[in-house]
Amino acid sequence: MAFEALFQPIQIGNQTIRNRVVSTAHAEVYATDGGMTTERYVKYYEEKAKGGCGLCICGGSSVVSIDSPQAWWSSVNLSTDRIIPHFQNLADAVHKHGGKIMIQITHMGRRSRWDGFDWSTLLSPSGIREPVHRSTCKTIEEEDIWRIVGDFAQAARRAKEGGLDGVELSAVHQHLIDQFWSPRVNKRTDEWGGSFENRMRFGMEVLKAVRAEVGDDFVVGMRITGDEFHPDGLTHDDMKQIAAYYDATGMVDFFGVVGSGCDTHNTLANVIPNMAYPPEPFLHLAAGIKEVVSVPVIHAQNIKDPNQAQRILEGGYVDLVGMTRAHIADPHFIAKIKMDQVDQIKQCVGANYCIDRQYQGLDVLCIQNAATSREYMGVPHIVEKSEGPKRKVVVVGGGPGGMEAARVSAERGHDVTLFEAAEQLGGQITLASKAPQRDQIAGITRWYQLELARLGVDQRLGTRADEATIADLRPDIVILATGGQPFLSQVPEWGYAESREESLVVSTWDILSGAVEPGKNVLIYDTICEFAGVSAADYLADKGAKVEIVTDDIKPGAAVGGTTFPTYYRSLYEKEVIMTSDLALHKVYREGDSLVAVLENEYTGAQEERVVDQIVVENGVRPDESLYYALKGQSRNKGQIDIEALYAIQPQPCLSESGEGFLLFRLGDCTAPRNTHAAIYDALRLCKDF
Amino acid sequence: MLDTLLPILFFSALALAAIGAVRRVRLWRQGRHSPVSLIRGLIAMPRRYLVDLHHVVARDKAMSNTHVATAGGFVLAALLAIVVHGLGLDSAILAWALLAATTCMFVGSLFVAKRRRNPPPRLSKGPWMRLPKSLIAFSLGVFLVTLPTAGILPEDLGSWVLALALAGVVAWGLGELFFGMTWGGPMKHAFAGALHLAFHRRPERFSDKHGGEGRSTGLKALRLEDPATKLGVEKPADFAWNQLLGFDACVQCGRCEAACPAFAAGQPLNPKKLIQDMVVGMVGGSDAHYAGSPYPGKPVGEHAGEPHGPIVTRPSTKGGTALVDAETLWSCTTCRACVEECPMMIEHVDAIVDMRRFLTLEHGNTPNKGAEVLDNLIATDNPGGFDPGSRTHWAADLNLPLMADKREAEVLLWLGDGVFDMRNQRTLRALVKVLRAAQVDFAVLGNEERDSGDVARRLGDEATFQSLAKRNIATLGQYRFARIVTCDPHSFHVLKNEYGELGGNYEVYHHSTYLNRLLEEGKLSLKAWKGGTVTYHDPCYLGRYNGEYEAPRDVLRALGIEVEEMARSGYRSRCCGGGGGAPITDIPGKQRIPDMRMNDVRETGAELVAVGCPQCTAMLEGVVEPRAEIKDIAELVADALIEDDSAESTSRDEAAGKARRAEEEVTL
Repeated sequence: MAFEALFQPIQIGNQTIRNRVVSTAHAEVYATDGGMTTERYVKYYEEKAKGGCGLCICGGSSVVSIDSPQAWWSSVNLSTDRIIPHFQNLADAVHKHGGKIMIQITHMGRRSRWDGFDWSTLLSPSGIREPVHRSTCKTIEEEDIWRIVGDFAQAARRAKEGGLDGVELSAVHQHLIDQFWSPRVNKRTDEWGGSFENRMRFGMEVLKAVRAEVGDDFVVGMRITGDEFHPDGLTHDDMKQIAAYYDATGMVDFFGVVGSGCDTHNTLANVIPNMAYPPEPFLHLAAGIKEVVSVPVIHAQNIKDPNQAQRILEGGYVDLVGMTRAHIADPHFIAKIKMDQVDQIKQCVGANYCIDRQYQGLDVLCIQNAATSREYMGVPHIVEKSEGPKRKVVVVGGGPGGMEAARVSAERGHDVTLFEAAEQLGGQITLASKAPQRDQIAGITRWYQLELARLGVDQRLGTRADEATIADLRPDIVILATGGQPFLSQVPEWGYAESREESLVVSTWDILSGAVEPGKNVLIYDTICEFAGVSAADYLADKGAKVEIVTDDIKPGAAVGGTTFPTYYRSLYEKEVIMTSDLALHKVYREGDSLVAVLENEYTGAQEERVVDQIVVENGVRPDESLYYALKGQSRNKGQIDIEALYAIQPQPCLSESGEGFLLFRLGDCTAPRNTHAAIYDALRLCKDF
Repeated sequence: MLDTLLPILFFSALALAAIGAVRRVRLWRQGRHSPVSLIRGLIAMPRRYLVDLHHVVARDKAMSNTHVATAGGFVLAALLAIVVHGLGLDSAILAWALLAATTCMFVGSLFVAKRRRNPPPRLSKGPWMRLPKSLIAFSLGVFLVTLPTAGILPEDLGSWVLALALAGVVAWGLGELFFGMTWGGPMKHAFAGALHLAFHRRPERFSDKHGGEGRSTGLKALRLEDPATKLGVEKPADFAWNQLLGFDACVQCGRCEAACPAFAAGQPLNPKKLIQDMVVGMVGGSDAHYAGSPYPGKPVGEHAGEPHGPIVTRPSTKGGTALVDAETLWSCTTCRACVEECPMMIEHVDAIVDMRRFLTLEHGNTPNKGAEVLDNLIATDNPGGFDPGSRTHWAADLNLPLMADKREAEVLLWLGDGVFDMRNQRTLRALVKVLRAAQVDFAVLGNEERDSGDVARRLGDEATFQSLAKRNIATLGQYRFARIVTCDPHSFHVLKNEYGELGGNYEVYHHSTYLNRLLEEGKLSLKAWKGGTVTYHDPCYLGRYNGEYEAPRDVLRALGIEVEEMARSGYRSRCCGGGGGAPITDIPGKQRIPDMRMNDVRETGAELVAVGCPQCTAMLEGVVEPRAEIKDIAELVADALIEDDSAESTSRDEAAGKARRAEEEVTL
């Protein structure tokens, strides 16, 4: 049997977990009504259980006390009995499908924000500021300690009364328990600091209180780091000692192990390894912990593929694999393995759109799966075949929006033709994948290629569709997802011209696509500050160019998320790319064989110049509207999407009206430049009712 | 002159036939003892002929009528001719009767001749091409010589030349029909066939007087504890004597050949040729005289055998051939299509397994994955070599009730080795869901269950089969249950028909039969079918082995599905290629059996093929797409269940604070 190791049930405490795959605790940012697990939350986890996931540990950083603020990240609030009936709904939904569900509980100590909601006074063993959240705090007092210990016990009771299968005490990510552990943060000289036993004391009191409250018939686990990766922090050997110490109490039913601390931007990026990382980069740390404990060990971090999971489990490194982002990308991960549809698994590409939203306090969404966490709205993971008329659907443009539109239309049972001007699918994803360390983003395209082939979509690659070719197909529906072009003509002084010989500037697309040879001495002007600018900088530096990346924004890559910009920065600094902020590109002119960029300080107006041989400008995308306006007049609906129906996830009213001609819709960047998720979401919610 | 010639002709023919018969009987008696009652067999013979054999022959109406006219006419004509012409009894009435009989036979013979004018490939040629002429010679000759006796023509009509010519024609007919019958001519089938019916090794396969359908499909146990018992058949003389008699009865009609999936797939097996080879071996000689289709890829004339020589050469003997090559025996899927079609009631599958037993038990020579599978069965009690403690891993979230805990249940759900297969796990989960919806009191053996022994037995490893069977019987003996239900027709067959000889007697249901019963009892409510066209594939071990054709169709009907039948369905269903260990021994052919079966499905235009066997599911799903979807009956029922969600609301009312057990709903 393939994937045998994945499908070995395992006992954790009094619970039998049906397989070895865990969705580990992450902050979902879905709780509403003061931290309650309401419908969206329940449906999100129900989908994973339905999809076969063995164990879901929900509620990353769910708080036990009111002075650990939950509202910033809409996390779950276990400080009140009000949560109990909500947990019952959650537990029923997961249990109904044979899954198990536990929740992570914590007091985050200093790791939060204080400047809102209840304006909490944050706490930490020695009152040392936390850099990632820029949070200051007070030095915790004995009274606070005992209050919080009691809060942990009450929170665990609420989880148990709500029918959940267990709790995971968070002692990772520099929450309060591991703030006491870490000599980096705990400078106390009383019985709560200093010696090993003293630093362990708070965690031990929490564990004892929780166990006393819930008894033996309830799972209590601990999530710990495997190594903080700080010279003044907890080392792997320290963590082995700590794990063994708590394990010896017999009160812990499992350990979850995370590589890296995360109280700096750079270490934070380790915790949720993006596509720049190798597979399972910190497995050795979890395996080290497994050596010293007697209970099951769970490890997540860049485990995304069933073969990889099988290999890890077969090797005996850990007992359960966390595949959390893998389940965000495809909650039917296990079901597809069981259905022998491994090729149909939408595999996480490590774009970290999910977690990078979460750190901004936004709900977790998947860059490539628009149905995730929208189950409650009726956005489907599995698109059912239409019972209505079979339609001829023509999709123009093979970027993410076009590919999703073609896929969903084909799943509905329609006859779909997809035109793509390039020789391959992917659109801007293909460009994005050309940068160093970003190749895995092409996994989004790879899945669509497999799905579109499986669904029998007629793919006309290398073919530019025009009015005549579209009319020849006698379509019922035409979807335009033609994207756009780099917007270099916005500022005439940049000297952009259509002819490459005449143009003084080139685009990041020209660079990444290989259409323009990299210069030797290059200035990149990036006013967008998303991926394209830093990707082009990394690409050029990788080819040996001397690169300066300049932005008028607060820093280059400012709009790249918190777990992603650090890997860019590591690479850019290593290659000696100069990063300059607060300068706008005022003007470009030619001087001999060189180009001169005139830069103007955003705040002083002072100008300075750079003499380079290539200037790359990243100014976003200008929608390509030509085909749209050519077809708009002929279409029955004049190209209009009924946005009320769209936002309500309802069918477009024009679908049920009859008349001459075709329906025309446009998606993605050819309407307005947004992002991959926006294009895919619009395509899914529009096409799911075709 | 005819008055003198005819008695001489008749009695010398009869005398020669008698000598031939004695010699033939001696050939059969080379075989081993077989415990059948000769007297009772002879008494039962006419009924077996007229009812059971006719039941098979009558599937081909034209041939049936032809045979009734020819054979009936002949038997009557022969008896009357002996009286009229042999004993010279001068009776006009008898003569007229003889005329009628020969006329009848003559008409039949014309149809026989017509069939031979453009014979289908399945029919053997050679001497068989001569038979219609001989039949015509006999019937016409006897008719003509009887005309004077009946007083239609004067006694002394014609010259002695004419008389001699007529006598010659009669002699030809007598030669074929009396002498040839016992000396190895085509008419041998009548002689050996009649006695085979009387002394058949499986008397229980024939219907009884009260109209009860006879059935006997379980393999017979080897007496392993008796050191004198040879382990299987090495030489023709190792067969039971009535098996040899059965081979000798073969009429070479080739119905088996036309039905054999391995033959159609171009694997080196032709059941008709195999039976003829056994006859060659029994008599001694080469297969050069065989005039039918060869084993695909194996020219006729290269193999020879003798009653006391090995049928299959040992692999160590380089280049040597014996009577049959081992790969011929390993091509069989044990689907029983040949046995089902055989009008002479020959038991091909018994013979094949007998010979496989010798190869496996004495030579240890089971090809390809065979040895590995048998080793696995010995070491782990399952063919895949999976951890025997992992039998219920697929159901970790289902809280299956264990017999070890409950001790008794109405239904013992036999899971089968499909527990290790992810595809079959879906079927099992569906079945559990349905049983729960019908509130059936059931339990499973869990890790106490072992492989039923089916594959080991079909691969000839009787020892492993008996070891597994005895241990399963001992386990089952610890618990009380009314019946066993299983979704695996192979387990079903073995538990129902093959454990009895080893002391395990149970009421066993295939799940389709049981689900049909639940539906009839109104215990399940189903939504109407909304899908497309559906066909149904009969598993061999459910259909031909156990005669269950209707229950699965009834279940489908209850779902609102009108089955679009394949040309080969019911007792003529084509095997999926998965039985008898054939996927394990994996003898190459020109095409794959499941591909052919999927073509049968394709011809119906069905979008979905309903199955009732894990093996069939695996084989059919192995066919490359595009092809019909494959779903087990249990899955179809589970999908259509109208669920009562009161179970959910009850659980919500249960005391909060206690971690509740998983709900019964199963999604995967």
